[in-house]
Amino acid sequence: MAGFVAVLRKDLTLELRGGESTLALVALSILILIVMVFALNPAGGAADAPIAAGALWVAMIFAGMAGAARTVLAERDNGCLRALYLSPLDRGAIFLAKLAAASIFMVVAEAAVVLMLVLFFNLDFDLRLVRMLPALALGLIGFAALATLLAAISGRVHAGDLLMPLLAVPMYVPALIAGVKASAAALGGAQWSAMGQWLRIMIAFDVLFVAAGFILFEHLLGED
Amino acid sequence: MENLGYLGAAYAIIFGVIFLYVIFIQRRQAKLDERMRAMEARLAEVRDHLRRRSAD
Amino acid sequence: MANTFTRTLAALTGLLMFAAIYMTFVFVPTEAEQGIVQRIFYFHVPCAWVAFAAFGIVAISGIFYLWLGGQIWDDLGYTCAEIGMVFCTLVLVTGSIWARPIWGVWWTWDSRLTTTLILWLLYGGYLMLRAMAGDSPQVARFAAVIGIVAAADVPVIVVSVRLWRTIHPAVLITKQGQHGLTDPRMVATLLVALAAFTALFAWLLLIRFASLRTRSRLAALERELNLIDAAAGDL
Repeated sequence: MAGFVAVLRKDLTLELRGGESTLALVALSILILIVMVFALNPAGGAADAPIAAGALWVAMIFAGMAGAARTVLAERDNGCLRALYLSPLDRGAIFLAKLAAASIFMVVAEAAVVLMLVLFFNLDFDLRLVRMLPALALGLIGFAALATLLAAISGRVHAGDLLMPLLAVPMYVPALIAGVKASAAALGGAQWSAMGQWLRIMIAFDVLFVAAGFILFEHLLGED
Repeated sequence: MENLGYLGAAYAIIFGVIFLYVIFIQRRQAKLDERMRAMEARLAEVRDHLRRRSAD
Repeated sequence: MANTFTRTLAALTGLLMFAAIYMTFVFVPTEAEQGIVQRIFYFHVPCAWVAFAAFGIVAISGIFYLWLGGQIWDDLGYTCAEIGMVFCTLVLVTGSIWARPIWGVWWTWDSRLTTTLILWLLYGGYLMLRAMAGDSPQVARFAAVIGIVAAADVPVIVVSVRLWRTIHPAVLITKQGQHGLTDPRMVATLLVALAAFTALFAWLLLIRFASLRTRSRLAALERELNLIDAAAGDL
């Protein structure tokens, strides 16, 4: 537990001291949202809920790919991965700390994107946004877990920054499908019951990847 | 007998791909056999060298 | 490949495959709705079986590699990833060729084909990792983790894609007739084809695995020999 807190605090402190990267992540997320709007050309009106949901999730994933991996890649850049490996910290705790930090960064970016979404698509700040929150939260955690796991691999591999999306996208598909469906339903005014099955899938996904990361992270930290 | 072309294409591809893969495996095996021979030659050399040295 | 067991397996594969071809083209009756193109089904399904089974073995060998160590498990995983990729590609290609004359489209986003596409991407990622990262125990560990996580993800993928598709029947083009095997001869043909492809899978696994084992052992020997060479040269 102490290890988890220590690593998490370290990552957050680093970020607070040199916060430009979070700012850049927020900017990137919004830009991707704008690109999606141009690309999908929504007609304007209630029928746009699926398009808005899709654009939102694309922005989350592609910005997330850049941002969520930072917590691990920063370690590699500074030669700290070996230090982590040699430390007596529980490997699972390190993973959870990285996951938590990545989630926090993504939440900040997500909040900005949702705000922009409301503006661009002329939504209301009403219950429909609230009903979208569980899907966003679950999707975010799942992606952060996946990205943290994959970053530990792709960070150590030549041309790994190409490899990461290649692995991340197919693995994330169930959460993406479920997340977009649930978000579109929420934005369209549906009740909780309509989203139940999708949220269950996302919960299963999150449990799987958080557990997998927790158990397997130690194998990713070692060296030859 | 319409669509015979599609049927034929599908089966041709299945067997073609499998056949090519088998060839691929055999090629790789042949390269390994070559490396093995080179290795055995080196081993013989080293053995020779050591024998001569211990004879000194 | 000179091994007696391997030779026997090759012969068995040949026999079963011959039987499967005979049954697919001569024995089994033509399906009423789809015509002769439907016969692709008898080889399309076994390819999918091999693709998924191979993936399972990739994951299991990954678990054993992380748990027990030993290059042999890594070699097994790599072999199955290669074979699985080949057959996964065949599923997609034959599925596409089948869809075209029946439904007029090259691709349908039905749940089975979509899931296979994602499996294909997962295979691709795994093989790209190995291609880009080279050979080392570290890469083997990475690959093992990827294999395990991806395999664990597959059930979630299957459920989510199936759910995705049942909600949009207008876009969906069901592969009817896939389990509507009306004639017992069809069932028999499918079973023989499955047996033939299982034998083929086993044979390919054996010969490719033997090849990779040789490669690993050779690499280890070469490393040792280099050391001896250097030592002998110094003296």
